[in-house]
Amino acid sequence: MLPADLLIQRYQGEEVIPKRLPCSADNLAIAAELIALFRAATGGTRADLQAQLQVLEGEETDYRMKRGLAHLLESAFSTFEMRSLIDPVMLRQRVFALSAQSVPGPQSSATTVAAVAETLSRELEQDVSPEQIRAWLYADLPEQQLLTSFDEPTPAALIERYNLSQAQGVLYRASHVVITAHRNDPGEYKLLFRYGKLFGLMAYIEGDADHGFTLTIDGPTSLFTPSTRYGLALAKLLPALLHVTRWSLTATLVPRRLSPYTPSVARFRLDADCGLVTHYPPGKVHDSMLEQAFAERWSHTNTPWRLEREVDLIPIPGSVMVPDFRLVHPDGRSFLLEIVGYWRPEYLRKKFAQVRRAGRHDLILAISERLNLERAGVKTADLPARVVWFKDRVLPKAVLEVLGE
Amino acid sequence: MARSPTLSFDRGTLILHPPPPGKAWIDYAVWDDRVERFRIPALYYRRLVEALTAEGTTLVDSAREFSPLTLVPALEMTPYPHQREALAAWIAAGRMGVVVLPTGAGKTYLAQLAMQATRRSTLIVVPTLDLMHQWYAHLLAAFPDAPVGLLGGGSHDNTAVLVATYDSAAIYAEALGNKYALVVFDECHHLPSEFTRVIAEYSLAPYRLGLTATLERSDGKHTDLQALIGPEVYRTSAAALSGTVLAAHRIVHLTVKLSQSERQRYDALIDTRNRFLQDHGIRLGSLTGWQAFVKASARSRAGRSAMLAHREARAIAFGTAGKLRVLADLLAQHAGARTLVFTDDNAMVYRVSREFLLPAITHKTAVKERHDILQRFRTGEYPVIVTSRVLNEGVDVPEASVAVVLSGTGSQREYVQRLGRILRRGEGKLAVLYEVIAEATSEEQLSRRRRPSTAVKPYRQLDLLESELLAAEGGEETCYQPTC
Repeated sequence: MLPADLLIQRYQGEEVIPKRLPCSADNLAIAAELIALFRAATGGTRADLQAQLQVLEGEETDYRMKRGLAHLLESAFSTFEMRSLIDPVMLRQRVFALSAQSVPGPQSSATTVAAVAETLSRELEQDVSPEQIRAWLYADLPEQQLLTSFDEPTPAALIERYNLSQAQGVLYRASHVVITAHRNDPGEYKLLFRYGKLFGLMAYIEGDADHGFTLTIDGPTSLFTPSTRYGLALAKLLPALLHVTRWSLTATLVPRRLSPYTPSVARFRLDADCGLVTHYPPGKVHDSMLEQAFAERWSHTNTPWRLEREVDLIPIPGSVMVPDFRLVHPDGRSFLLEIVGYWRPEYLRKKFAQVRRAGRHDLILAISERLNLERAGVKTADLPARVVWFKDRVLPKAVLEVLGE
Repeated sequence: MARSPTLSFDRGTLILHPPPPGKAWIDYAVWDDRVERFRIPALYYRRLVEALTAEGTTLVDSAREFSPLTLVPALEMTPYPHQREALAAWIAAGRMGVVVLPTGAGKTYLAQLAMQATRRSTLIVVPTLDLMHQWYAHLLAAFPDAPVGLLGGGSHDNTAVLVATYDSAAIYAEALGNKYALVVFDECHHLPSEFTRVIAEYSLAPYRLGLTATLERSDGKHTDLQALIGPEVYRTSAAALSGTVLAAHRIVHLTVKLSQSERQRYDALIDTRNRFLQDHGIRLGSLTGWQAFVKASARSRAGRSAMLAHREARAIAFGTAGKLRVLADLLAQHAGARTLVFTDDNAMVYRVSREFLLPAITHKTAVKERHDILQRFRTGEYPVIVTSRVLNEGVDVPEASVAVVLSGTGSQREYVQRLGRILRRGEGKLAVLYEVIAEATSEEQLSRRRRPSTAVKPYRQLDLLESELLAAEGGEETCYQPTC
């Protein structure tokens, strides 16, 4: 992501439009040049790297774009490390204590550094030069750290990352976002909610699997006053949203008042066709082998019931349940199927509590006979769901039986 | 059997469930559909609990995680009358409120008294790493047996007494909110900004103390402090406290000439810049002129080179080698004297530190190393330290008798606060402040602007210094010619 001073955006009425770099030959050349510079700077200090970047920036007016690309290379693709044989804090203590014995000045500095180099050579039993002492003195400063590895992106990938970061940057000023998730199969919602929870966000969910959902996303205190407190978390959520199949997003923004022409409220819109590319790894297609095997067997079963994956959302106070499957009959009947395989007791307790709070009557639970539910403190007798017990595999036949087929 | 109403803490808010009988709580609560519970801003914790108690409701309070704390002071002084009065006023106001005291009036000790009187886990929020160091050092001395820790400046402690920067406390506001019963906001005029106000909003601390020398903010947001901390409970002016120990001091202005080559380069750069400014009808010297220059410089290649020229010229004027020669001379003249060297930017600090092998403090220095350096400065092991602007706001650096300002910005406040650094201490000591500037560069004008004029009244908190400064205005002016 980019710091606020490298964001480039313009207003179209109340709409904010972030900078978008086309993958033109010119832009690809600039990206390639920066990547080559980083490659060549590997092994050197951050200060050297920055000096070279400054030269490359030159006197062109597009320096903020270049600076943004360089920032991404530095923060997302590079590793910097400190190189010094001795802890710089300790070294400074020794050097400054010795230096305080004489009147400070260039000549006495040379004597001090030479004396410390000599003592350290003896202590470490290896040659330490005065130049090394001077280099290590502030080796822990960020600009003295060495670029030790560079995980090189392609020029096109760098530009994609830049465009994503500019869009994320708009969300820094967001008070909340409303995501319309159209009817999706597969929905790929689990990843979105997992990240949302990780970043401390909350969702208000309306809708159903046939028509799609409206998710209003903000944080705990948004209830009282809208603020940009959760803007950064919303920005970090965007790459997860890009994994969802069909959606549109509207963010309500509180712009910084830069000039009298800046509107007091602004909006940002984005949808699944935006062309932005996520760098978050995709969620696993199926959470377990059990689910995957079941979906496969279903595809070979002769039945009018159609199997959809992760299409429904069941709001539960403070959380959301995303059932693994949904079964739809052409006559309009539908059921939700959740497979409960091998899990830890806490997970089981939570899952069954969720099922109870969901208040749905169209739930089918496929539960492994191998689970010791008694010991996990879970009673299945009063569950508001139909239960299919299974040994090693969930058979479509058993599920169809519960459906009354 | 109905469960008792339970209050719990959720990321800067309170959740009250099941809803209690009575009506007192309804004013504070908002129904939250997302969790199907009533949610209440953490800031209202005290009022809510008081209202419920008044109605006789039994409440299970699992929200607060703060605890009583034994605070045995190892450092006790007789409080000044104004400290005693301020403490009494704060306690009388229910331990919520703002105290306005001038810089140097002992607000750290007042906070110590407030902690002793409250004896609960305490969070102290400060605007700079240097103030963080100062509070840390004081609390270690005051309560050697109490767990004192730091949040920010390279540390992330989790202790019953915690000193945090505004930035770090704001970042972790959700997690800190229910851990501290007392929150002390140092320089509390910083609190109402959009980013930092959550420290107060997401906290359920029933006791809050705000300390400041300059309450008023230009954006008028200081009125929010009433809701975030409490009312102003006590105020005293510098004039009312005059008679406090101040060392006499003199100011020496040293002018350094640029070397021949530096001069030529400087003139060429300024020429480049001025031609651009003339072509575009821009006049620097006012804020709007400067903004016009910044805008114009982003629009064309010529503008960009003019801006780069301006920056390089500034660097020549600020960082001239001649200044370092003067510094070497001054350090030799005052060998052994406790000396502070100030520069305007970090690059210069580290340059001086490397060339003269002097300990440096910048905002990048970890607080624990900073503490160690200042400790050694105090004992005399390090007679000289070099620092950038970070030592600016109200930090006690004891026993410095010489200050050398190698460059500075045009801010009057900063200049005088730097002066205050050496003026504030030592009885009857003659402090010297050297200001080393380059001759006939734009920087000289900065220096002129920095000296307070008699017409402009300096900041209220500096009333103490005014008479001294007027005397210093007539101080000696030396033109310093480097010998080499």
